Amino acid sequence: MSRRTSALARGRGRFIFLCLAPAFALYVVFMVIPTVDVFRMSLFQWTGFSGTPTFIGLDNFVALAGDQQFLRSMQNTVLLLVVVTIVTMAGALIVAALLMNPKLKARSFFRFVLYLPSVLSIVVVAAIFSAVYDQENGLLNNFLGTVGLGGLTQVWLGNESVIMYSIALAMLWQSLGYYVLLYMAGMSSIPAEVYEAASIDGSGPVRTFFGITLPLVWSTLRTTLTFFIISSINLAFVLVRALTGGGPNGSSDVLLNYMYGQAYTNSSYGYGMAIGVVIFVFSFVLALIINRATKREVYQF
Amino acid sequence: MKKSTIAGSVAMIATVGLLAGCAGGGSGEESSDSNTLKVAAFEGGYGADMYAEVVEAYKKVNPDVEIELTTSKTLAQELTPQVAAGDYPDVVILGQGAEEGFTEGFIRDRGLEDLTSVLDETVPGEDVTLGEKLTDGIVGNLNTNPYGDDSVYLLPMYASPTGLVYNQGLFDEKGWEVPTTWDEFFALGDTAKAEGISLFTYPTAGYLDSYFFALLSSVGGDDFYRDVVTYEQDVWEQPEAREALEMTATLLTDYTASTTVGWANGQDFTKNQQTILEDKVLFMPNGTWIANEMKDAPRADGFTWGLAPVPAAEEGGDRYLTTFVENAWVPKEATNKDAAKEFIAFLYSDEAAAIFAETGAVQPITGLADTLSGDSAQFYAAYNEPNVQALVGSFAATEPVPGVDLKATLFDTANSIINGTVTLDQWQDQVNEASNKLSAAAE
Repeated sequence: MSRRTSALARGRGRFIFLCLAPAFALYVVFMVIPTVDVFRMSLFQWTGFSGTPTFIGLDNFVALAGDQQFLRSMQNTVLLLVVVTIVTMAGALIVAALLMNPKLKARSFFRFVLYLPSVLSIVVVAAIFSAVYDQENGLLNNFLGTVGLGGLTQVWLGNESVIMYSIALAMLWQSLGYYVLLYMAGMSSIPAEVYEAASIDGSGPVRTFFGITLPLVWSTLRTTLTFFIISSINLAFVLVRALTGGGPNGSSDVLLNYMYGQAYTNSSYGYGMAIGVVIFVFSFVLALIINRATKREVYQF
Repeated sequence: MKKSTIAGSVAMIATVGLLAGCAGGGSGEESSDSNTLKVAAFEGGYGADMYAEVVEAYKKVNPDVEIELTTSKTLAQELTPQVAAGDYPDVVILGQGAEEGFTEGFIRDRGLEDLTSVLDETVPGEDVTLGEKLTDGIVGNLNTNPYGDDSVYLLPMYASPTGLVYNQGLFDEKGWEVPTTWDEFFALGDTAKAEGISLFTYPTAGYLDSYFFALLSSVGGDDFYRDVVTYEQDVWEQPEAREALEMTATLLTDYTASTTVGWANGQDFTKNQQTILEDKVLFMPNGTWIANEMKDAPRADGFTWGLAPVPAAEEGGDRYLTTFVENAWVPKEATNKDAAKEFIAFLYSDEAAAIFAETGAVQPITGLADTLSGDSAQFYAAYNEPNVQALVGSFAATEPVPGVDLKATLFDTANSIINGTVTLDQWQDQVNEASNKLSAAAE
């Protein structure tokens, strides 16, 4: 009996290994090796086109510490991280809770309309918002004028203090639907009896939301926090590149955009990789901290 | 057990087959005919059709060569990964001064083939050498000889004057004279303001390069200009530099259209250009490609393109027309360098020049400017004004300095000057600092 079981177990183990091997090999080649390479290249000076890289040790990082534009792009990225995360998460949770209500009419229509922006390419989103934010014929300024809030009109893409919020709004619009769907999926796994018990106890909608819904979708929330970090850094790059190109005089520069500019336009590939290392470490540490801070006992129901 | 083994092996074979398919496709492309000349050309305001026509014309002169032509509006972005993988085109038609800095990267890396010998080659289909055809002074400057010696590494394509573009029809209608000094310039600005027309705008801040080079030369002379573009230590603290920055700051804060900054990006820059066509703004820095770029745009009645040099500081002072050239060059690592050089020589033949001239791209060969008509003739007429000279060349090539972008610091800051977030003193300090850092790295 034991001999047959171990043979079975060995065969199964071998099969699992064979199945995982190609995926693991691809993972190492396309994810692990380039990451190690980023760390390696950050210690060199190279133009990226021809010639040989020169080893310069930690000089790139020393230069980074005094680089004003790098600090500005870091500030912009952190601003986007905070604003987009908080607003999108709060908004998506509320909208998801509202859409879970079976008495709401045309729920699937709302879901469709909300999710549509997530399907669009970011370049299309940039083109749309370029038209919306246009200082003369744009949707936003004209709307404000019509409603009587003409004093609030701005040059959304020209005013350096407002431009990051313009970008945050575009990112919010694009990603809201995706998170609404995610939270709805998490919420739908909560059994109806729990809500019935709560309503018997006399709990109103707000109390129910904070007392029951939120704790029970907490694990979904924690996962999406990691998504927010990744998307704020990644999507912001593509959006900034397509919409403002770094904004009036670098005021809407974000980390990845600055990295791309230094690595390619300024032919300082090693310096760009040093920025890449900083981004990597930053997002890794941030994800770790957030993971620890939001750890809670998993509720069973 | 048997079923799962079969399933597993089928999955493995499928994966291996997929990878093999990828590998097969790659090697198939590499083993192409070594007699194929790969030409990569940038599609700018002049369009891309002219390249196909020139390739056809070349095939008639030289039928043995197969030509593989790639044109793209985002050529640098497409070539960058290709080149990083070791696949170099033989001829690249792409100038300097673009955001991606693709050509500049090759200059910095000394990755260009020496083209000095091409000047002595006979132009295919004719019996003169290339050197004899090119106009005086168009080679031998920092643009074509980036290392400051006698070796030519980039050949100039489409010499086009750039300057302040305006609507000649509007000036005729209002009886206004094109200003030749800054006092006249600002006075005209006040007159126009009274009629609700702004004096100045720019498509994006990067277009201020033509304006600045002409301004610096006209304020400080050729020697001062040379010092600026070779990053003389503290050159930006000189009184001439201060004067240039001060006049520009006044121009930006008091006379520039308020819509400029909001539209000064990749998506909306044509809207800034449109304001000239609609008589909302008088001047913008631009070049001859603007006629073709805006050819389908609606415009005011009686609109005709005009080009003026940047005004001089004093009456009778020299004015300059920054003459932009694009470049044709050969990467040192290209495979068909001799065929590439011959093709480049053909680009200056009368036949090729005629094809280019149809869209307004004027090759810098002697006698061509006189045969132009229409919009092109009006643009090139500016050279015939008194005290007006051509100015070729931009900032000297240097080793890249991480975090330092002198062009962005000098030109993009204009947006902040208009917004009021950067002062004139800060601007001067920032530019001087950047220039000094590059001075340390200059070859």
